[in-house]
Amino acid sequence: MESPEVELSIPCAAEYVGVARLVVLGVASRMSFCYDEVEDLRQAVGEACTSAIERARAKHQPDSRITIKCIMEHDKKLTVQVADTVLGYNSRGHATLVGTDLDESNIGALLMEILVDEIQAESKPDQGTTVTMVKYVGRRSQ
Amino acid sequence: MNHEMRSHQVEPGIAFLQLIGEADANTAPRLRQEVQFWLDQGVAYIVVDLSQITYIDSTNLGVLVGALKRAREKGGEVVIVSPSRRVVRLFEITGLGKVFAVYDSEATALRELRGNQDGKPGS
Repeated sequence: MESPEVELSIPCAAEYVGVARLVVLGVASRMSFCYDEVEDLRQAVGEACTSAIERARAKHQPDSRITIKCIMEHDKKLTVQVADTVLGYNSRGHATLVGTDLDESNIGALLMEILVDEIQAESKPDQGTTVTMVKYVGRRSQ
Repeated sequence: MNHEMRSHQVEPGIAFLQLIGEADANTAPRLRQEVQFWLDQGVAYIVVDLSQITYIDSTNLGVLVGALKRAREKGGEVVIVSPSRRVVRLFEITGLGKVFAVYDSEATALRELRGNQDGKPGS
């Protein structure tokens, strides 16, 4: 099999984020990532799920779902897509850290940016948001 | 997911809070409540032990930053003691290590905080 895939669908609710992290841990552990790389990816996926949950809560869409799709490529690259069904525009913010003044509302966005090697977010107001994150084996972010 | 939280008042004005296991969006409301409780009790200094944390997400980090802001408004502080390897990494990459005072032990943190309290007019 060229690029094995693992897919999980969970309710868009805080109590299921741990399940998503467990799956990513299991998939990443099958590859040659070091401990910190696995933890970084696990964290980034958790943050993407939490972002979807916060948007679902803000937009009063409790029945939304999150699909996590992991694509393993030759023990070199793991792509994880976190797609939600939260409708409406998603303005993805960035954390600001100037001196000792931190905007705590966007720490999640900052972590996602830093913890993976590539990240892309596509938001379609009538479908939801998909965050695609890529982690390469042996290329620890920061 | 394993998660536990313990807290107690060390002495008037200082509370100790320990987070254990995985702290995520599901557990953050409890941390928010706990911090709120101590600040409402008149505590201005909170010592947060993160030595047993294996995972902490942005919602919990955000709660701690919010608590720090509120504590400072009261002339106090939220300090971190014995951060786990994972917490150290997150503090490094987010810059939170410059926002919070970090100590290697509860005893060291308490010594510093008592010094801060003693230095205040009227204390």
